[in-house]
Amino acid sequence: MPLFVAGLSHRNAPVELREQLAVDEDKLRELLRDAAASGAVREVLVLSTCNRVEVYAVADVPGEARGALFRRLCRHRGIETAPVEALLYTHADAEAVRHAFRVASSLDSMMIGEPQILGQVKDAFALAQSCETVGPALHTLFTQAFAVAKRVRSETEIARHAVSVSFAAVELAKKIFERLDGKAVLLVGAGKMSELAARHLVEHGAFPIYVTNRTGARAQEMARALAGTAVPFDELATALAAVDIVITSTGAPEPVIKREAVQRIIHARRGRPLFFIDIAVPRDVEDSVDTLDDVYCYDIDDLKQVVDANIRERGREAHRAEAIVDREVAKFLARLGDVEVIPTIVSLRERLEGIRSGEVKRTLARLPAATPETREAIEAMSTAIVNKILHAPITKLRESSRAGSSRSWLELVHELFGLGRK
Amino acid sequence: MHQTLLTLAIVGYVIATGLALAFLVQRDELIHRLASLATLAGWILHTVALLTLALDLGRPPLGSLPEALLVAVWVVVLVEMWLERRYGLPVLGAFVLPVALAFSLQSMPMRPLIGSTLRGAWVWVHILLALVGIAAFVLNFAGALMYLLQERQLKTKRPGALYYRLPALETLDRLTYRTLALGFPFLTIGLILGALWAGAAWGSVFAFDPLALLSLVAWAVYALALAGRATAGWHGRRTAYFAILGFAVLALTLGAGLFLPGRHG
Repeated sequence: MPLFVAGLSHRNAPVELREQLAVDEDKLRELLRDAAASGAVREVLVLSTCNRVEVYAVADVPGEARGALFRRLCRHRGIETAPVEALLYTHADAEAVRHAFRVASSLDSMMIGEPQILGQVKDAFALAQSCETVGPALHTLFTQAFAVAKRVRSETEIARHAVSVSFAAVELAKKIFERLDGKAVLLVGAGKMSELAARHLVEHGAFPIYVTNRTGARAQEMARALAGTAVPFDELATALAAVDIVITSTGAPEPVIKREAVQRIIHARRGRPLFFIDIAVPRDVEDSVDTLDDVYCYDIDDLKQVVDANIRERGREAHRAEAIVDREVAKFLARLGDVEVIPTIVSLRERLEGIRSGEVKRTLARLPAATPETREAIEAMSTAIVNKILHAPITKLRESSRAGSSRSWLELVHELFGLGRK
Repeated sequence: MHQTLLTLAIVGYVIATGLALAFLVQRDELIHRLASLATLAGWILHTVALLTLALDLGRPPLGSLPEALLVAVWVVVLVEMWLERRYGLPVLGAFVLPVALAFSLQSMPMRPLIGSTLRGAWVWVHILLALVGIAAFVLNFAGALMYLLQERQLKTKRPGALYYRLPALETLDRLTYRTLALGFPFLTIGLILGALWAGAAWGSVFAFDPLALLSLVAWAVYALALAGRATAGWHGRRTAYFAILGFAVLALTLGAGLFLPGRHG
């Protein structure tokens, strides 16, 4: 299958160039139709996101097709072709398959495991389908790429551990509390980031939500936005006793949550942990609070450290994902290869079987005295001869298709056995 | 026959333990599946070994401490497999299997230790209750260990491999509490029956028997942990330390029973 992918991505091209080359949907339709109409490609799909512009195509002369496609693309966008061409990477056949699988599985993304890319690939596929530039090759390739992406997501943790501070805070909460539903949350200060973290907690079932702020009106506003309750700022200590998770983000120069205040309430909690998420700078929770038992206090630096660890963990998971992709590529090529050569194998068998049965019939017609045993022996012997003759060419065809060089062998077999044009 | 089966079962547990520990380091679903498979295979062999042992002996395999410990390991592995599925705790094996393995290795030299004159209905109940208690405390120990490790990870704020593998603190604290609450009554009644039966058999309850004396210490540790939890709200790190201390004494107790002369061996 003369498949190739060519393009540029965040790995090799600066953002200025990527934005210049990014194409909107209408232009993309036009481009796909033009390319298909010109006859340069048999099948084509363009993936254009803010991190990559890639062309997946099936063409008889990949090099020419690639040049034609990108010249067209650059003309559309009114930019010079040369600097773009200099940056293009190209993968053919097996490597193109691997690339498609890796991109769809979010292994080639800037942030490994980010979930958007799969949707973007699906959109690009749907668009190419609607323009009728997807043929059997790209169809099998991308259907399989979606399946591989799904497998990678479910069997590895590349998309698991949070890479944003607010999600990392939620994950930490889930490592402290068995479940978040019914856990009460107190917001001290009404910043954007604490609102975001609170929203994530609410999505996981945290309830009720209390909001307190030096300016009461702001607290009211935020409480409304989160379907929570506003609490006067001077009742902070009381509110503290009633919650499990505290998110602080005031602009106060001094800590607003002191060790002794926490120490006072901790006994009454009878071992229920208390989790402080302190995203204020300077910090709102006194340093020594963290030394109390059952109190877990994460400031913004701690959260960033957790995010870094999460990213490293994703990286480790990515190794496992790459192994899955490797296996899937091999499986895909084997299957694809068989699909390609099977029609020829079938007609080859039919052809030889036709010759065999015809000859056996003629021979037996001339031997009216032959016993059933003799007839059977002749049938068996002729079948064995045919199978032995077929063995080598069929094996060769299968092997060549797996190696990606089946075309010339298919032609040869057709010629040699007179199977007619394929 | 039972000895061969038992050796095979232990081989299964060795493999399972190795794989379960490997799973902590390398989170590969395949390793976990193989570990579960090895555990199950070991446990099935263990089951058959116990049945053949019972047939060979013509009585339940509870007549001696090594035998009873074998049954305790059997219970522990069964409960471990169940808990792992029930609570989605694939790392549990790494904490329970090494202990189970150690106990099953101790049971290797099979020596029936209680003479026929001392047998009676009560002694079976004594042994049975004690071994359920021991099984619960193995899990109690595993839960406490996991709690302390996860607590450490959360306090130091440097998430390592274990942070991602271990469940929430609250889950682990509850596991520790439940196993303690389950194990304690069994241990208590088991001890009382043992003492009553000793009084009946030997005429004295407090003769020098290393296992009996040490088990009183273990009982006291667990009693204190439970009382503290019930009245003073002890929890978390403190109960975890008690669980580890209690289990250390318990292991010492069983070791003494196996290797020192006394009524149990």
